[in-house]
Amino acid sequence: MVSTSTAPADSAPVAGPELIVDALKQAGIDFLVVLPDLKLARLHELLENDPYFTTVTVCREEEGVGICTGAFYGGRRAAMLIQNGGLFVATNALVSTAIMYEIPMVLLIYYAGDIGDRFFPTVGQYTEPVLQALNIRYWVPREAHEVVPTITGAQVTASDSMRPVAVLLTRPVLAV
Amino acid sequence: MKRYDCLKAIADVAGDAISVSSAGGVTLEWSNVRPSDANLRVRTLGLCSSIGLGLALTLPQRKVLVLDGDGALLLNLSSLPTLGWQRPPNLIHCVFVNGVYEASGGGRNANSANADLVAIAKGAGVPHAVWVDSVEDFRREVAAAFARNELSFVAARVEPGVQPGLKGIDVQAVENKFLLARHIERTEGIQVLAPAYPQR
Repeated sequence: MVSTSTAPADSAPVAGPELIVDALKQAGIDFLVVLPDLKLARLHELLENDPYFTTVTVCREEEGVGICTGAFYGGRRAAMLIQNGGLFVATNALVSTAIMYEIPMVLLIYYAGDIGDRFFPTVGQYTEPVLQALNIRYWVPREAHEVVPTITGAQVTASDSMRPVAVLLTRPVLAV
Repeated sequence: MKRYDCLKAIADVAGDAISVSSAGGVTLEWSNVRPSDANLRVRTLGLCSSIGLGLALTLPQRKVLVLDGDGALLLNLSSLPTLGWQRPPNLIHCVFVNGVYEASGGGRNANSANADLVAIAKGAGVPHAVWVDSVEDFRREVAAAFARNELSFVAARVEPGVQPGLKGIDVQAVENKFLLARHIERTEGIQVLAPAYPQR
């Protein structure tokens, strides 16, 4: 088992949804597929109430890979806002559409079960190994100053490499 | 009724629509009936309705024709309530219902028993959903869907089987992506692909 991330000693809020919205705008990401989650609720609400963003709520994360793929062909920078359990649901479409056809998209994934995050330790345990197995590059911002460069950089790398990439959003970064 | 005859009957109706077709015989047949850079051939079973939704939302002035299989749609049934929520007026969702997993060995699926895809689509909030049993009705319903400018779902009961003697598809997956992206850039006047070398 390999874990590449480290966490601060406490899990006090370090950033928040407003900073993530700002980062998405700086990245030019204006098309968001969302599957609602308690920890993503404030961020989702900000996105839905901001005319800069087109948001599509899905019933199942695999749909979202398809919708982001369609939005890519429509000339948009697309991202998917999901929980890590949803990453597991989406793997078939990620492999045989996003990776196989080389479609750029940013996966913004709430890192449930991250160190100190209660209730979903198994989901947390398998998150990074699954991303590694899929050869999806990912980053875990831990400090406020890392949020904007990580999300804008992830968009550039997705676009340049024509692949999905992921940013794992921890509870301190989401401020929840 | 044969799927191939249905597809032949709508080739002219489709015009310059972007098509998104499901893995399986429908893709081979449609590629022969309407060879075009505007055809996206999907490999993830069931994902064509979701890819079509993303296209329809971001290119609202363009018709998007989804050519689905019934077994494939069962694998992404949750795309129907999402479509019923978004209701993209420029999307036409055709499903060929043969009751079997044709591309993967021909085993029966739930549509061969008690499931009713039109009732499911209606229940999911798709405003227009109909069954058709003849090539003439299929052409008429698809033409009406193109003219209507409201999300439409046309389910055609067809016999299993792929038209014999058709030309194979020699376009690779990534090539398919580039051809469609460049086609959309040309016809819509937008940029889809990032520049290979930035301007200096």
